[in-house]
Amino acid sequence: MISTLAYGLTIGGILYIISIGLTLTFGTMRIVNFAHALVYTVGAYVVMTVTARIWDNFVFAGLVAVAVAVPLSYLIERFVIRRLYGQSIDYAIIATYAVLLVGVDVVKWLWGATPMPLSDPLNGAFVVLGGVELPLYRILVIAVALVVFAALEVFFRRTMVGKIVVAGLENKEAVRSLGINVDRFFTIVFLIGSALAALGGVLYAPITSIHPYMGFQVLLLCFAVVLVGGMGSIRGSFVAAFVLGLVIAVTGRFWGPAAETMVFVVMAAVLIFKPIEA
Amino acid sequence: MKPSTLSLLRRADLLVIAAVFLVLGGVLTIQRTTDFVIFCIFVLAYDLLYGYMGRLSFGHMLYLGVGAYAAALSAEHLSGNPLVALLAALLCGALVGLVLGPIIVRTTGACFALINLAFNQVGFFMAVTALSDWTGGEDGMSAFYDPVLGFDFGDPWVVFGFSLICLLAVVYLMKRLIASPFGVLLRSIKENETRVQFLGYDTFRYKLVAFVISTAVAAFAGGLTIINYVFVTPSFIDPGRNVEVIFACLIGGAANIYGALTGGVVFMIISNYLPNYIERWEMFLGLVLLVLVFRFRAGLWRYLAALVARSGAKEVVS
Repeated sequence: MISTLAYGLTIGGILYIISIGLTLTFGTMRIVNFAHALVYTVGAYVVMTVTARIWDNFVFAGLVAVAVAVPLSYLIERFVIRRLYGQSIDYAIIATYAVLLVGVDVVKWLWGATPMPLSDPLNGAFVVLGGVELPLYRILVIAVALVVFAALEVFFRRTMVGKIVVAGLENKEAVRSLGINVDRFFTIVFLIGSALAALGGVLYAPITSIHPYMGFQVLLLCFAVVLVGGMGSIRGSFVAAFVLGLVIAVTGRFWGPAAETMVFVVMAAVLIFKPIEA
Repeated sequence: MKPSTLSLLRRADLLVIAAVFLVLGGVLTIQRTTDFVIFCIFVLAYDLLYGYMGRLSFGHMLYLGVGAYAAALSAEHLSGNPLVALLAALLCGALVGLVLGPIIVRTTGACFALINLAFNQVGFFMAVTALSDWTGGEDGMSAFYDPVLGFDFGDPWVVFGFSLICLLAVVYLMKRLIASPFGVLLRSIKENETRVQFLGYDTFRYKLVAFVISTAVAAFAGGLTIINYVFVTPSFIDPGRNVEVIFACLIGGAANIYGALTGGVVFMIISNYLPNYIERWEMFLGLVLLVLVFRFRAGLWRYLAALVARSGAKEVVS
C-alpha cells in the first residue's frame, strides 16, 4: 500500500506541475490551452534526444528541454493565443487544438510515431521506507513538485510580478486602471506555465514511454485537476493534483484499466456538487 | 442568379439537397455517399448545440457511439429489424442525454467542452474495457439486419435511400425547430443567458431539452452508421475524433442548416480523399482549422451565399 501511495503522489506531483500552466492561462486569459500538451510532449522528446545524442546527463537534458519550451511557447503565445484574447472561448479551444494537431504531426515527422522508452536516470536506485522498496526517482519527483509549489508561493506572494498577476486573476480591469499593462505580465505567466509543462514532460518521461500522442491523455487528466481545483486557483490545483494522483494509483491497484477513467468520475462528482460558472 | 430563382431554390431546398446527394452518389461510391449523408445528420445534431445554443461540446462522439453500440446490441439481442435498432439508438441517446445533461448543461464555455470530453473518455473506457463482454472490446462486433417490407438493408442503395430520407426529415424538423419560439430562445441563450433569465424563462430546462435533442439525433446518426457499416468498433466512440464534427461545423459555417450540410460534405470529401495525396494530413487539418478560426469564421456556406447574392444584385442593376 505504501508503494501505491508513493506512486499516487508521484503522479500527483507531475500532474500539479503540468496543471499550473493550464490553470494560470485559464484564470488570467480565460483561454483553454490545448497547445499546452504540445509543450509537454516536446519536453519529453527533447530530454530523450539530448540524453541519447549529446550528453547522458538527465539534469542537463531536462534544463535544455525547459529552455527549448520557452521560445516555442512564446511563438504559440505571440501568433495564436494573443490574437484570441477577449474573444469567444470556443475559438481559443479550436485554435489551440489545431496548434496541437500541427505540432504532434511535426513531432511524428521528426521522431517517428513509435513509442520510445527512457531509462531511469538513477539506474533504478531505491530507498526503503516502512519495509518497502521505493524507486528513488519517484520520491525525487514528489520533492521537485513540493519545491515548485514553494517557489510559486513565494513568487506569487513576495515578488511584484507575482502580486500583479494574482491581482489580475482577481480583477483584470482594476489592475489595468492602475496603469499596469496586465497582458505583458500574463505573457510572463504563460511562459512560466509552459516551462513547467516541459518540466512535467521531462519528469514523466522515465516513468512512461514517449510517443507523439502522450500529451492528449495527460492533458485530459490536467483539465480534470484544473476543474476540480477551481479554475485559476493555484493552491486548489495543488490539492486536486495530489488527490487525483492518489485516485489513479489506488484505482490502478485494484483495476488497472480503470485508473484514469476514475479521475473523470471523481471530476463529475465534484462538478455535481460544485458547478463552475466559467 | 436571379433573386426569383434563388427564392425558388430556397423553397425547394429538400429536393436540392436530395439531388446533390444523388449526384454525389453517382460520382463517388454509394456506400461512401451514405457515409456523407449520415455524417451530415451528426453535424446537424452538433450544430444545434454549438451553432444555435453556443455551447461547444468536445465530446459528442460519446453520443454517436452510444447510438452505434445501441444499434449493434439491439441487432444481437432484440431483433434484426433495423428500425428497432434505430429506435434503440435514438432512445439510448436521449437517455444518456437526460442522465448526463443535468450535470453538463449547468456549465458553459470551457467547462462544457471539457466535461463532455471527460464523459466521452469514460464512455470509451466502458466500450473498450468495462463492458467488453458485451461490446467486443477493441475488436468490436458485427450487426446484421433483416429485410423490412421487402427492402433488403444489405443493399447499399436501400441504405442510401433510407439515410437520405432520414437526413431530409432531420433537416425539415431542424428548420421547424429553429424557426419556432424554442429556437429563438436557444439563440437568445447563446447571445445572453442572463437576460433570458430576466425575462422569466427557466433557461436550464430549455438547455436540457436542446441537449437531449442533440444527443438523441447524434445517437440516431450513430445507429444509421452501423446499419451502413454492419459492424461497430471503439473508433465510433473515440474521443480523439471529436475534432471532426467541430471542423465540419466551422468549414460550413455554424448556426446555419445549409452551412452544416456543406461543412459535412466538404469535410468528408477532404478526409476521404486528401490522405491519398497528402501524407502529413493532420498538419494540413490543423493549419486549415487555424485559417478558419482567424480569417474565415463565417464559413463556406455564407461566403458562397454572399457571392451569389452579389452577382444577383449585379444582374438586377445591369
